Amino acid sequence: MTCWSVKRRRHAYVDRTLSTAERERIERHLRTCESCSSRFEQLTSLRFSLTQLPRRRPPQSLSTRLRVAASRERQIVLENHGSHWRAAWNRWKFRLDEFMRPITIPATGGLLSSLVLFGALAFTLSIKSQPVAYDIPVMAGQTDPTLVPVQLHSAVVLTMSLDSDGHIADYAVRNATSSFVGDSAHTSYNTIPVPDFPSVFRMAEPVTRDISISFTPIVFRR
Amino acid sequence: MGQPFFGQPVRLSILAEAKSGVSAEDARIVRGLQAGIEEAYEELLRRYEQPVYGIVYRLVGNETEACDVVQEVFIKIFRGIGSFREQSSLRTWIYRIAVNEANNRRRWFARHRSHEVSLDGEEADRNSGIEDAPDPARSPFDQVLDHESQALIEQALARIKPAFRVAVVLRDIENLSYEEIAEILQVSIGTVKSRIVRGREALRRELTQRLDPGLAAAYS
Repeated sequence: MTCWSVKRRRHAYVDRTLSTAERERIERHLRTCESCSSRFEQLTSLRFSLTQLPRRRPPQSLSTRLRVAASRERQIVLENHGSHWRAAWNRWKFRLDEFMRPITIPATGGLLSSLVLFGALAFTLSIKSQPVAYDIPVMAGQTDPTLVPVQLHSAVVLTMSLDSDGHIADYAVRNATSSFVGDSAHTSYNTIPVPDFPSVFRMAEPVTRDISISFTPIVFRR
Repeated sequence: MGQPFFGQPVRLSILAEAKSGVSAEDARIVRGLQAGIEEAYEELLRRYEQPVYGIVYRLVGNETEACDVVQEVFIKIFRGIGSFREQSSLRTWIYRIAVNEANNRRRWFARHRSHEVSLDGEEADRNSGIEDAPDPARSPFDQVLDHESQALIEQALARIKPAFRVAVVLRDIENLSYEEIAEILQVSIGTVKSRIVRGREALRRELTQRLDPGLAAAYS
């Protein structure tokens, strides 16, 4: 065996990972080669010194800290079946409960009040349609096959008369050339849906009056 | 019904020992930790506190930092024991966590606090916590010499590259096999051998530079 091949194997020799045959060949070479023998001795001595290094003793404070941490983690395992996600969820839930406690009753009261008020008003909503026999663009609440889109040719004024209950008792449509008053017989096309809020008007104390709405055509010229 | 562990009769899986890398004793500890048994925690600390501290201390080089890292390591062990799949031995798994945490801390320390100087000094820090029983067969002079040479070796070890240092520590101080070291460091066995060789060579060069002529003769 050459010095070069022995030198390549010296660490494996020290670590005792070579086969018995290889170790014997190396030892035969070492008996005859002072240089390699010296190198092997250095390495063996170094490794021996490392194995003899004393164990580093952890400070007592560390032992205490580790046992405290172990106790805490064990508690999490026992309370949450080992799940830190469950532990985090429980902690978040607890904090949320603590936060919500002072405002739970007012918030619930507010929610219930809203539901009661909405429930009281909801059934009063209705849409009443009144026929208008005139060429006025209309927006119907439901599709009516008899409705025919028309074009507004001139300004139109719609006047509605309200009674003391806030109901639309009468209406009239006028333009520059003609006018007509409401007639329930004109029901074939062009209806104006008029919402009826009797309870709302009652709360607002309706006043008998006329309301006029003016419709003016806008012409775009190219 | 399997043999009771930690005083509580329980059914043990007959496959516990069949899984590669995990001894029966390790499996008992793992089951105990997963079940929240206090004795299992104590057993784990008793077995691994000192070895983990030794490895971590030699990687970070500072007692205070080593204590923090060791605490982090064990917290990770306690929290991760539920996902421990027993593909490797408990020891290699624990040591892998320890090495990774120590490396992370060392890098962080080098980036943020390398300019700070300990009031106690490096010498006191390196020599503290050493379990050193006096040998009555040796003269006081020899014991002092031993202590001095050990301190020099520790200092030289702290000066070599971290990648080589961890390989030398795991092999020559903790006496782990190449396969175990490869598993811990997540590298090939060839890489482990290479790092051990280069680490020992670097250590030898450091010692020849630092030792006095009398001791240097043993290493040069």
